Amino acid sequence: MKKVTKEVLVDASNRLLFTMSDEEFDLLLEEFDTLTKQFNLIGEIEGVDEEKPMTFPYEVYQYTLREDIPCKPLKKEEVLKNAGSVQDGQIKLPKVL
Amino acid sequence: MNFEAIIGLEIHVEMKTKSKMFSPAPINFSDDPNTDVTLLDMAFPGTMPVVNKEAVRNAIRMCNALHMHIDQELWFDRKNYFYSDLPKGYQITQQDRPIGSEGYLEIEIDGKLRKIEIERLHMEEDTCKQLHFSNYTLLDYNRAGIPLIEIVSKPVMHSGEEARKYVDKIRELVTFSGVSDGKMEEGSLRCDVNVSIRPYGETKFGTKVEIKNLNSIANIEKAIDYEIKRQSELLLLGQDVRQETRRFDESKKETVLMRVKTDAVDYKYFTEPNIVPIKISDEFVQDAIDTCPELYDHKLNRFINDYNLDIVDAKILLNNIEIADFFEKISSFSKNYVPISKFVITEILGYLNKNNLLIKDFKVEPKYIAEMVDLLKTGEINSSQGKEIFAKVIKENKSPIVIKKESGVSLISDEDTIRKMVIDILAANETLKADFKAGKDRVKGFIMGNLMKQTHGKVNPAIANKIIIEELKK
Amino acid sequence: MNYLDLTIKEIHNALLEKKVTVTELTKEAIKRAKENCDNAFELILEDEPLKKAEELDKLPVPVDNLLFGIPFVSKDNFSTKDIETTGSSNILNGYIPLFNATVIEKLENANAILIGKATLDELAMGGTGTSGHKGTTYNPYDKTHSHLIGGSSCGSAVSVASGIVPFSLGSDTGDSVRKPANNAGLVGFKPTWGRISRFGLFPFAPSLDHVAYFTRDVFDSAYLLNILAGHDDKDSTSSLEKIDDYTTYSKDIKGKRFAVIKEIEDSITDEVLNKRFKFILKELENKGAIIERVSIDKRLLESIYPSYFVISCAEATSNNANLDGIKFGPYYGGKTYQEVMFNARTNGFSNLIKRRFVIGSYALMRENQHDLFLRAQKARRIITNKFNEVLNKYDYIINLASPSVAPEIGKASDKLSNEYLIADNYLAFANFGGQPSITLPIGFKDDLPFGVNVTSKIFTELNLFTAANAIEEITGFSNLSVNNYKNKEEK
Repeated sequence: MKKVTKEVLVDASNRLLFTMSDEEFDLLLEEFDTLTKQFNLIGEIEGVDEEKPMTFPYEVYQYTLREDIPCKPLKKEEVLKNAGSVQDGQIKLPKVL
Repeated sequence: MNFEAIIGLEIHVEMKTKSKMFSPAPINFSDDPNTDVTLLDMAFPGTMPVVNKEAVRNAIRMCNALHMHIDQELWFDRKNYFYSDLPKGYQITQQDRPIGSEGYLEIEIDGKLRKIEIERLHMEEDTCKQLHFSNYTLLDYNRAGIPLIEIVSKPVMHSGEEARKYVDKIRELVTFSGVSDGKMEEGSLRCDVNVSIRPYGETKFGTKVEIKNLNSIANIEKAIDYEIKRQSELLLLGQDVRQETRRFDESKKETVLMRVKTDAVDYKYFTEPNIVPIKISDEFVQDAIDTCPELYDHKLNRFINDYNLDIVDAKILLNNIEIADFFEKISSFSKNYVPISKFVITEILGYLNKNNLLIKDFKVEPKYIAEMVDLLKTGEINSSQGKEIFAKVIKENKSPIVIKKESGVSLISDEDTIRKMVIDILAANETLKADFKAGKDRVKGFIMGNLMKQTHGKVNPAIANKIIIEELKK
Repeated sequence: MNYLDLTIKEIHNALLEKKVTVTELTKEAIKRAKENCDNAFELILEDEPLKKAEELDKLPVPVDNLLFGIPFVSKDNFSTKDIETTGSSNILNGYIPLFNATVIEKLENANAILIGKATLDELAMGGTGTSGHKGTTYNPYDKTHSHLIGGSSCGSAVSVASGIVPFSLGSDTGDSVRKPANNAGLVGFKPTWGRISRFGLFPFAPSLDHVAYFTRDVFDSAYLLNILAGHDDKDSTSSLEKIDDYTTYSKDIKGKRFAVIKEIEDSITDEVLNKRFKFILKELENKGAIIERVSIDKRLLESIYPSYFVISCAEATSNNANLDGIKFGPYYGGKTYQEVMFNARTNGFSNLIKRRFVIGSYALMRENQHDLFLRAQKARRIITNKFNEVLNKYDYIINLASPSVAPEIGKASDKLSNEYLIADNYLAFANFGGQPSITLPIGFKDDLPFGVNVTSKIFTELNLFTAANAIEEITGFSNLSVNNYKNKEEK
């Protein structure tokens, strides 16, 4: 596991596209300390690492798929209604390089 | 020192389904921006993905065409990253369990078939389209969510030619199976290339360079050949090849640096929790394969065997599936298959080329083309009349039989009239019969020439020829 | 007599007997919502519900539709067409959805009347009811505002406990309905994962998320499931499993087997609660039920919360990546597209949420997945297998829903703590395994309610309501609210 340092956390937060105060990062470090300890304990549960990871709450499958029938699309005004920056019927952003 | 190039290709193919991969929004490539969009495409909170059946059928068809193992349990994963064109902040893909694995296709190199192994084929969704202006960018969500197939080859190709033929084969398979338009120029088939080189005999791979934004099959070959040369020169100078992403500059005919790769991006993949695994039945797989439109190789065999076309003509027709289809439609109205193929190749393709048109712009009923070919074949019209009539057929999308009648264009086909003229010619040239019997075949031509002169070319040559022989033999 | 203090079924009867009109009910509900000072509402609706009420009053009250004209409240993480929906987060301020969540649609079709959107912990990521952008939501049982109602479905709990509406929608990812139900003296229920469509529920952690709800008695809870259950083409995880008439639950508890998890029971030190719990068990036995103590390794129980924490944070960081200020939500601008997103997310999320996202993202990193996210998913399987093992031998697992009555404000926090509080955090086992699970009140301590939780095998909701009904019969605590609890004697 990657060592948890403040730099690592600041970098992780930047990659998530937000920042927070210094105190928050300190608090986060504390929380990581707790989490790491707890996960070390979980690692000691017999057979845990041999177990298959579980995503769905029970064994479940679907057998049918959506038919390829197009729906009525949204109106352009609806699509853009909640967007804060719009021009020429499209969402406008600073130039993406 | 000589180097061996190692090339691997990742191809993205946009499917031409009616609705998107996970949302029921319609797909119409030419629509106005943001008019083929529904809730999920905008990633509105609470919307959920539902898998498109036709997209899965398409993926199965491609897996089959590429001789792949098909995973009959579908799992999807999230690929997490932030980008302006990615509405959800993640792309739904199949990282862990691609629907297809361990396949191959065959290409011809120096007259020999070569197997190119394919590692995986998976389904995913497209991002939205960005239109860049001088100081801003506009986002069109019509493309967001269009189903994609990604096909990843093993790093087993060694030259630009192999790569070009590989992509060409993939393009042929996706277009013939109806999975995609397969148009690189329009982005419905996109290709990323990985190239590295190493000294012959070396087993370790060299540093990989990625080439992106290749917009034609020809450029793939050019870019790779250039890149092999560039890397070889670096190594010969004792320099290192950097791990980087490059693009092909068409005007300079060389690859140019886009960015140097740092650490591989961490996409933090995990299983998509909003799509429970899907079980695909044997019947579903079989049905998808059975109903797959005919692939190139099969069609080629059929054109040669059922229509008696020669391989060169058959391949010309099959160069474009729409032209091949048009040929088959014409052939349902007439059994003059070979003349039809010639007519399509010389007259129709010639017309399209001359006028810079696509086959979809050619609006003439296939039946009329069949009539056209029949008229020429039976000699009811000659080739110059044929050209005149065909020009009208194209202009008016009208039956050539009707045009012929209306314009009074016709040949003298009445046997008595022709016989009388032939007898007159024979009478005026007494030696002809004897010459013919002595084996001088050109006599026939002489008589035909006279007939043509007298009728201003309007005698039916087939009938005239028959009568000439009959009279000469008398 | 105020009709809003009655259950759905009782209000329905009053409507049938024309003792009250839909308009009167709706007006009263809106009035009570406005008078409430526990910070329960993001938004109180007025014109739309009153218009609908007037229309309904022109129609005959249908005998077979108990929801006709019944006012209700939805947690503000259900998408409501043309009605601002924020998830109690600043990042969604002003967001007006274009569509209704499937459950909202079903309730509208049944002619229930939405009168407000309730507060929650920001984006449902909390358990205290203190982290929404409108601040702390208070427990209506304590007029001094010194106790939590708990979360994340805090406003929904308040609105039913205060007699504003007879039922409200919530969501339950770890215990977000079943825990506040303990603190609010309510019936809080979540069915099997997949039983109710999640389409339109803002996702927190989809593999754990459930649509859930509060009512004031067991019958109403069962009746609502009749309306809300079923497959939805828009949510491919919604189940095709057959739907029962859930109100036909058996009233006979004889021979039913209850497992009390010994380690959870032993970890609770509050004597008032323990005594009352034992009394309930005894009474169940008197009705012919079989009660046995079953042991589950303490270490497994202690793993529930950290595993839950990592899985839910990891899923959440991805689910909320769509919140970037570009398509919806406040736009702050910026010189680059990254700045646009950065500004929206920095301004839009509270610190607690940001910390959760960092933890979730960290757990998913390539080099950490094995030790964090995947390990949590593996632990989830082991824990689920263990609880299912118990449920294969018993009809139910029963324990106190919480080790205490509603905590004092400031005593509980969402900060990750070193203290293992098994009984405080065990309810998430039913999110791991997706089993139906219900909390209902059994007693009071210092005028604050507390409850018991019962869980059964997946898709055995009918059987679960049998147990809940038996307990309700024992306590007589049907239709508890702050307006009437003093009249209800603890049996």
